[in-house]
Amino acid sequence: MKRRGFLLGAVAAPAVTMLGGGSATSRWERAAYRKCSESRVVVSRAESYDSPLIERIVEGVRLCGLTVAGRSVLLKPNLVEFDPQGVINTNPALVAAAIEAFKRLDARTVTVAEGPGHRRDNEYLLNASGLQTVLDQHRIRYVDLNNDDVSALSLPSRFTRLGRLHFPRTVLESDLVVSMPKLKTHHWAGVTLSMKNMFGVIPGSIYGWPKNVLHWAGIDESIVDINSALSMGRFAIVDGIVGMEGNGPIQGTPRHAGVLIFGEDPVAVDATAARLMRIDPAKVKHLRMAGAFLGNIEQHKIVQLGEPIESLAQDFQVISQFGHLKGAS
Amino acid sequence: MMLGAALQFLQNTQNADGGWGAVPTRQSNTEATALALLALTSCREAKATHIERGLQWLTDLQNSDGSWPMRRSPSHGSWPTALATLALASFDGQRTRALTGARWLLGNRGRSLGWWATLAYRMVPQKMAIQLDPSLIGWPWTRHGFSWVEPTAYALIALKRLNADLGGAGDGQIREAEQLLYDRMCSGGGWNHGNSNAYGVAMPPYPETTALALIALQDRAADARNRASLQRLEEMMANGESGLSLSWTTLCLSFLGQDVALWQQRLARCYARSGFLQETRVVALALLALGERISPFRLGAR
Repeated sequence: MKRRGFLLGAVAAPAVTMLGGGSATSRWERAAYRKCSESRVVVSRAESYDSPLIERIVEGVRLCGLTVAGRSVLLKPNLVEFDPQGVINTNPALVAAAIEAFKRLDARTVTVAEGPGHRRDNEYLLNASGLQTVLDQHRIRYVDLNNDDVSALSLPSRFTRLGRLHFPRTVLESDLVVSMPKLKTHHWAGVTLSMKNMFGVIPGSIYGWPKNVLHWAGIDESIVDINSALSMGRFAIVDGIVGMEGNGPIQGTPRHAGVLIFGEDPVAVDATAARLMRIDPAKVKHLRMAGAFLGNIEQHKIVQLGEPIESLAQDFQVISQFGHLKGAS
Repeated sequence: MMLGAALQFLQNTQNADGGWGAVPTRQSNTEATALALLALTSCREAKATHIERGLQWLTDLQNSDGSWPMRRSPSHGSWPTALATLALASFDGQRTRALTGARWLLGNRGRSLGWWATLAYRMVPQKMAIQLDPSLIGWPWTRHGFSWVEPTAYALIALKRLNADLGGAGDGQIREAEQLLYDRMCSGGGWNHGNSNAYGVAMPPYPETTALALIALQDRAADARNRASLQRLEEMMANGESGLSLSWTTLCLSFLGQDVALWQQRLARCYARSGFLQETRVVALALLALGERISPFRLGAR
């Protein structure tokens, strides 16, 4: 067992990295295969939260070729807990801009939903983070995914031994789920981006706070299995205006990166976001696994629109256990 | 005024099946229903029919092994068993059912970390990502899960209430769970979800979990760790304004003999402002915090 896995074994639990005797192709059903020949990802410069964010998002959606009109849209920001000195959560200004952008693009409905991973005090979290003000100003419904009604889904991939999970009906009934993570490094998964952000849809009322069942099943493996189960329309908007480096996702250091990343392929978006942090996506376990069937991580299969990566890439620090992620891809 | 509005909210939002959902229109769940029942039984003005229907939903959902699931599906026993047990213990005719819930809790604690991690904690504790005592077991959120602060606190309260009826069968587990709470206490006092540190960095406490843990440990109020945590709670609540944290804090302080009139006023102002986002459990806890009758969360002194 590698040193990192040994140390993590304490609470994050031993990762189930292999299923006994299964070949790589047996780990997902044919229906779970979503890789296409190429994926569009848009990298957009945005120096601050005062930038014209609505226009940036509308442009990002347009360049990706995403159809929004007539669809029910669920915006899923990252809202884990709140630290007045930190940058844990997706900035509410970006959520507000996304609400307006999707309205302009004639979404049938726009809903904001999250299942915070640590705190159960929604009123506090929404107010302290500033998200409640946004919801009030835009008269937008917020759904607490930790306590939503649920339906069980069989997982079409088998990187964990979970087999099936319960998902919130609000998520399952949406036409388009927009993952809105913060650009962050993560002390157990290397990075936390649009795919890891979907841990937040797993209902705490069944799986607890934190969603430790997923940690025991293997964090990287759970990320892949959850994302493979979400077969509705997907889109990602990564908040990299101010990201987090080091001991993320809670206690890391704020890092201004001045960037937004958009795309329909969450794997390609996360691979691009990793490159923007000068992290090799092929060395991030869950991206490597997802890259086999859920989306593209290879640079030559990603149609890069907007700003070139090199013009905005920054050397995000990682904790020593993830030093191996750094390097050219 | 708040009491009447909150009572009306609970009575108006009871589902047709007799239970309560997390928020109105959501399917009934055990946590919301148990807390709503406890709240209604604490209000003199509550209508008996709402209590009877709620009680019926809760008893119907109890599994044959004594446990409760969170919802009808998935149906396996889970963390709200402690709350349902506590709720049924408030009804004279439901004592037997409550005791089967308590016995299930005794037989369904959290998982150990396993020999590999336990050995690592023994050999190189300073290198572990999270500092804790792996030998201590409390209660998990999920079946066979790791022990966390909130479910451990609920189970502790339920077992302390019923341990005499169990002939003291819970003595050892109660003691161990108390030790676990102290082990998971944040540096300087208080509790968060259950990780007091990560990679050598102290993690801060939350007011709502701090107040809940202090309620579970209210019979050890003289302990220096309780006093430090109480001070931390009061500091955190200097600016805290949420229904959940105010409710638990008000309950906690009232059990410790403090005058909570000002806290109750803050709670009422908060309700007027936000309606507690219409969350059933928060409205129910607030009703309990307004305290017309002795709270089911109050324990006898040890």
